[in-house]
Amino acid sequence: MSLKKTSLFEKHVSLKAKLAEFGGYEMPIQYTSVKEEVLAVRNMVGMFDVSHMGEFWVSGPEALKFVDYLVTNDVASAPIGKAIYSPLCRPDGTIVDDLIVYKLENERILICVNASNIAKDWSWISSHVGSFNCSLINKSDEISLLAVQGPLAEDVLCRIGLDSNLLKELSYYEVRSSTYRNEKIVLARTGYTGEDGFEVFAPHATIAILWDKLIDEKTTPCGLAARDVLRTEVCYPLYGHEIHDHNTPLDAGLKWTVRFQKEKFIGKEALLKHTPTTKLIKLTCKSGIPRQGHNIVNLQHESLGSVTSGTHSVTLGMGIGLALVDAKKYIAERPCHIIIRDKEHDIAIQDKPFVKGGHK
Amino acid sequence: MANNIPNNLKFTKEHEWIKVEGTTGIIGITDFAQSALGDIVFVELPEIGKKLALGKTFGVVESIKSVSDLYAPVSGEVIERNENVIEKPDLINKSPYDQWLIKIKIQNPSEIATLLGPEEYSGVCH
Repeated sequence: MSLKKTSLFEKHVSLKAKLAEFGGYEMPIQYTSVKEEVLAVRNMVGMFDVSHMGEFWVSGPEALKFVDYLVTNDVASAPIGKAIYSPLCRPDGTIVDDLIVYKLENERILICVNASNIAKDWSWISSHVGSFNCSLINKSDEISLLAVQGPLAEDVLCRIGLDSNLLKELSYYEVRSSTYRNEKIVLARTGYTGEDGFEVFAPHATIAILWDKLIDEKTTPCGLAARDVLRTEVCYPLYGHEIHDHNTPLDAGLKWTVRFQKEKFIGKEALLKHTPTTKLIKLTCKSGIPRQGHNIVNLQHESLGSVTSGTHSVTLGMGIGLALVDAKKYIAERPCHIIIRDKEHDIAIQDKPFVKGGHK
Repeated sequence: MANNIPNNLKFTKEHEWIKVEGTTGIIGITDFAQSALGDIVFVELPEIGKKLALGKTFGVVESIKSVSDLYAPVSGEVIERNENVIEKPDLINKSPYDQWLIKIKIQNPSEIATLLGPEEYSGVCH
């Protein structure tokens, strides 16, 4: 199967980015150095071509009712102009995908989903429209998405001519429709890095102009490797790692995204009855780098679970990891170890994300 | 991509280099390897006295996002480790041919003939 390319592909090639497959797309993994790219986002500003992500529009009188029924988080009572992170569950509580709902209006809602799940989500969501009075369109191939992240994100976007009042007014996880050079865009103060920053949904040609202008403003192009380090440092889950087709939000530290006070949503009954089988823990390791699949063991050398995401933290200068461990066998406060290449290494369990991030 | 290949070294197709000085072999990773790995953040090397077998793994270099095994270019016993690169792994990115990883006492000099010369090695760098 040939890989898809985003509209900015030629720009990545001309910048000599290292490219690799991700979610069916040939994506930039790194441009110069993962370390420099991570530091650019934490300290200055970086940008990511995340056009591989999928975009579905839901519109019509019952758009809000439908989306609120689909997802576990509360979209109905959120104010207009809010972005809401949520899992999308099956009736048995397992996770189809995690996504962001952009509530632009009650009757006009944008859903942004993972690239690798576009086809699965589309078939899942469209099969549930049923009697809801709303329409659904998949705009994934027509919309590009640029994430501009870091403490200087507002500054650079203002300098290249985005609506400066809007940039200033938008709070964290808020979204508005806007225009850029007479083209309609969607501007959101969201991202996947823990830093302040924005995501811009726009037609391909508009994103290409933004990219070039941001390069002129010395915004650092950043690849998916830096993005993965940044999200792991702030402990954001990634589909296929912490969450997947066979676990529920309650098994992966996402209880806060399941709003049982909602009258009705897919998976509610199963999740109400579900006792979590795993717990998501955050660990640091000074003598080695946690990697996906490494085992976590207790003092009796009994396996408790394994690492779901692990990397060297550029910001902290040590190994960090997220792991799913057995909810019964894992006992907080009791020391555990990570097994790296047949050797037990000390780890410290953290209560808070490894890096705080500077988001507003 | 960086691809500096010194003339006085021998190479493996897994991108280690070895400099032979009498019965001592000095081993590191090539410029091509460090560039392909990116920012190196962790190095695991064998203890002094450990016996290495030709073609078998003897340690690990890790970049932020990847883990790569190190393969012994020839058999021998570890006589010295470069503690500097364990402390500061990014030194390997800066000067891969000055920053050797280990020195070994070569067990079987005839194995040296199995290694790649600079020209042959440049053929596997792509």
